[in-house]
Amino acid sequence: MSAAPAEMKENIEANSKWLDAHYDPVANLYTFSSCIALADLQGDGENKLVVGDLGTGACNMKLKVYRGTSLMSENTLLDLPTGLVSFLMDQHEPRTPAVAVASGPFIYVYKNLRPYFKFTLPTLEVNPLEQDVWSQAKEDMIDPVSLKEMLEGIRDKAEIPLSVRSLKFLMLEPQEMEAYVNLHKQNPIRRQTVITCISTLKKNMADEDAVSCLVIGTESKDVYILDPEAFTILSKMSLPSSPTLMDVTGQFDIEFRITVACRNGNIYILRRDSPKPKYCIELTSHPVGLVRVGKNVVVGCAQETLQGYTQKGKKLWTVYLPAPVTTMGLMDHHTRGFQAVLVGLANCEVHLYRDKNLISTIKTPDVVTSVCFGRYGREDGTLIMTTKGGGLMVKILKRTAVFEDKDTAPGPPLAQSIRLNVPKKTKLYVDQTMRERENAVAMHRAFQMDLSRLRLAVARAYVKALESSLTPVSASLSEPLKMHAVVQGLGPSFKLTLNIQNTAVCRPVMNLAVSFLYDESLYSMKTAFFKIPLLVPGLNYPIDTFVECLTDKGISDIIKVFVLREGKSAPLLTAHINMPVSEGLALA
Amino acid sequence: MGLFDKLAGWLGLKKKEVNVLCLGLDNSGKTTIINQLKPSNAQTQDIVPTIGFSIEKFKTSSLSFTVFDMSGQGRYRNLWEHYYKEGQAIIFVIDSSDKLRMVVAKEELDTLLNHPDIKHRRMPILFFANKMDLRDALSSVKVSQMLCLENIKDKPWHICASDAVRGEGLQEGVDWLQDQIKTMRT
Ligand SMILES: Nc1nc2c(ncn2[C@@H]2O[C@H](COP(=O)(O)OP(=O)(O)OP(=O)(O)O)[C@@H](O)[C@H]2O)c(=O)[nH]1
Ligand SMILES: [Mg+2]
Repeated sequence: MSAAPAEMKENIEANSKWLDAHYDPVANLYTFSSCIALADLQGDGENKLVVGDLGTGACNMKLKVYRGTSLMSENTLLDLPTGLVSFLMDQHEPRTPAVAVASGPFIYVYKNLRPYFKFTLPTLEVNPLEQDVWSQAKEDMIDPVSLKEMLEGIRDKAEIPLSVRSLKFLMLEPQEMEAYVNLHKQNPIRRQTVITCISTLKKNMADEDAVSCLVIGTESKDVYILDPEAFTILSKMSLPSSPTLMDVTGQFDIEFRITVACRNGNIYILRRDSPKPKYCIELTSHPVGLVRVGKNVVVGCAQETLQGYTQKGKKLWTVYLPAPVTTMGLMDHHTRGFQAVLVGLANCEVHLYRDKNLISTIKTPDVVTSVCFGRYGREDGTLIMTTKGGGLMVKILKRTAVFEDKDTAPGPPLAQSIRLNVPKKTKLYVDQTMRERENAVAMHRAFQMDLSRLRLAVARAYVKALESSLTPVSASLSEPLKMHAVVQGLGPSFKLTLNIQNTAVCRPVMNLAVSFLYDESLYSMKTAFFKIPLLVPGLNYPIDTFVECLTDKGISDIIKVFVLREGKSAPLLTAHINMPVSEGLALA
Repeated sequence: MGLFDKLAGWLGLKKKEVNVLCLGLDNSGKTTIINQLKPSNAQTQDIVPTIGFSIEKFKTSSLSFTVFDMSGQGRYRNLWEHYYKEGQAIIFVIDSSDKLRMVVAKEELDTLLNHPDIKHRRMPILFFANKMDLRDALSSVKVSQMLCLENIKDKPWHICASDAVRGEGLQEGVDWLQDQIKTMRT
C-alpha cells in the first residue's frame, strides 16, 4: 500500500528534473556506452549523436549518426565495434571532428562521415616452433593429423600463444583439415591481437577543441598512444592483464594518467614516463564500469557495488546497489559545473550518484545498456540512453532542476543527525547549581520545616472553624446539614434564598430555627428569626426572605446566617453572605 | 477607426506605443523575425546570437512597437521574467524543425504562463512556428499540439507558420497582434 505514494513521489522527483524529449522504443539501436559519442560533426554548432551499432547477432553492424530525433546517416561496419570516439585530428579549418571506430585489430577513421583512414595494430611475434611446423606442412612433409598433434603440443607448452590460423585449424573436424591446410599453407603466419577499448588524450593543449591522440588497449595486454595525424605509435605501455575499460586524462606532451580496469579484476593507473603501472587497485569483484570524476575514480563492480577510489588507489567509499550494473557514464554539465556518475541498473533504473550520495533516480521502460550525457543538438544537459530492446531515449535536464546534495536512499531520517541548538550554561545557572549541591541538607530541612508550619496553620484554622461552626456544612452526626445562600435583586430590595438540605440517609431533622445578624443601620429585614419545618432527608428546602438596604452611600456589608437548634447555644451552621452594593435608590 | 488612423497619420499625430516581449529558445529566429519587421533601411545583414537582450523598434499602420528581443540561450533565460511587467504583448518564436527541443520550448512557455506577472493578465500572445521552409519542419498545427496551446484559455493567442529569412507569414501575425492590442485598449 505504502509503495504507491513513494513511487509517485519518485516519479515527481524525476519529472521535476528531466524533460522527456524523445523516446523511440524500436529505434533498432543496440550498443554500449563505449560506442556512443556526441560531436559537432558538421561544424554547424549542433551536436550529433554518433553510435557504433552492434546490430543483432553477427550482422547489421553500422555506424549511425542521429540529428535531433531522426537518423541522419548510416555506414556499414565490417566487424563488431568495440569502441567509438570522436576527436580532432588536426588544426585545419573547418574544425570538424573525426570519428574513430575500433573493431577487431583495426581503427576505422571517418571524416565528414566518409572513410578516411584505416589503422591496423602491429602484428605480434609468431612462435618459431609454430612457424617451423607450418613450413613443414607447406613442403607437404607432414600430414594434417601430425600437424594437429604438433600444434597441440605447442599450444599447451609455449610462451608465445598460437596464431588464429592454428587455433582455427585445431577446432576443425578431421575431414575439413586437408582443405584448410592447402588453402592457408602458402601464406605467411600472422599473429594479430584485437582492440578492447579506445579513448582519447589531448596532445599538448587542454582546450575543449584541442587536437587529441587516440589511446587504445589491446587483448595482448598493451596500451598504445597514436599520433592524431600520422597514426604512428607514440608510446606503448604494458599491463599485467587485458584492459577492458579505460579512462584517460591529461595531455600527452605534459603529463597524463590512464586508468584501466583489467580482466583480472584489478585497476591499474599508468602515467607518462612509466612503462609499467604506477598504482594498482585490487577489487573484490570484477569491474563492469569505470568513470573518473575529477580526481576520483568510481568503479561499478559485478557484486552490485559502486566504489570510489582516489587517483592513487585509496578506497573512499562503497555503495550497495539494488541490482547489477549494466552500464556507467559521466554526467558532466560544464555550464553549471556539475559532475555526477550515471549508473544503469538491471532493474530498469538509472541512478545518479554524486560521491556516494544517490541524488536522483530515473525509471526507464527497459533496461538501459548505454548512457551518454552532454551537449546534443543545442541543448547542453542532454541525457541519451539506449535500451536492451534497441530503444533510444533522450531526456533533457530542466533549466530549473536542482540536485540536493543529500542521499535520497532510505536510511535514518535527516533529523537524527541535526544538532540541537542548546544554549550555553550561564554563570547564574552554574552558581545556583553549586549552591544547591553544597547546601542540599540545609535547604531540605528549611523546606520541611516550612511545610510542617503550613500544615499546622491549616489544621488550627480548620479546628477553629469547626468549633465555631463557621462552615456552611454541619459536621455534627445528629444533624448533618448543608446550606447555601443566594442573593437576588439590584437593590435596595434584595431577595435572600437559603437552600437547606438534610444530608442524613434516613433521619429527619426537627426543631431548627434560622437567625440573621446584620448591621441595623444598613439593612432591615421583616423577620430576622424564623423556624424551619421538618427536613426530610435528601430534599432541598428553599427559604426566602427579603432584605431592604437603607443606605444610598454605595456601601455593603455582610449578613450572617445561623442555623440553630432549640435548646443549644452554639449554632449548627454559619454562613456569611456578602451583600452586593445596592444600585437602586431607596424608595423612602 | 481606419479613417481616424489615416487622419492621425496625415496630421503627423504620434502613434500609440506598445511594448512587446520577443521570447523563445535560442536559434529559433527571434532576431531574424524582428529584423524583417523593421524598415528595410534599418535592417542588418548578418544576424548573430543575441547576448542578453536588445531593444528594437518598428511601426505598423497604427502602432509603434518597442520590442525586447531576449536571448534564448539557457543561461540568459532567467532574464526574461524581469521584463514581464513592462510587456503588453508577447511574441513567442518556435523553431518548428527542432523536434527534440519542443519539450524545452513547452517547458519555458508553461513557466512563462504561470509567472505571477503574466498569469492573470489578458495579454495577447503571438506564436511563430518559424523555419517552415525547412524540410523536416512541423506544421503550425502540430506545433500548437505539442505545446498544448489549446490549454491557454484566458489569453488571446494566435499561431502562424513563418519563414523569417524570406519574411513569409510575418505580416499576418503582426496584423493579428495589432488588432488585439487595439481592442485591448479601447
Ligand atoms: N531556414 C530558416 N532559417 C532561419 C529562419 N529564421 C531564422 N533562421 C536562422 O536561424 C538562425 C538563428 O536565428 P536568430 O534570429 O539569431 O535566432 P534567435 O532566436 O534570435 O537566437 P538567440 O538570439 O540566440 O536567442 C540564423 O542562422 C537564422 O538565419 C527561417 O525561417 N528559416
Ligand atoms: Mg537573437
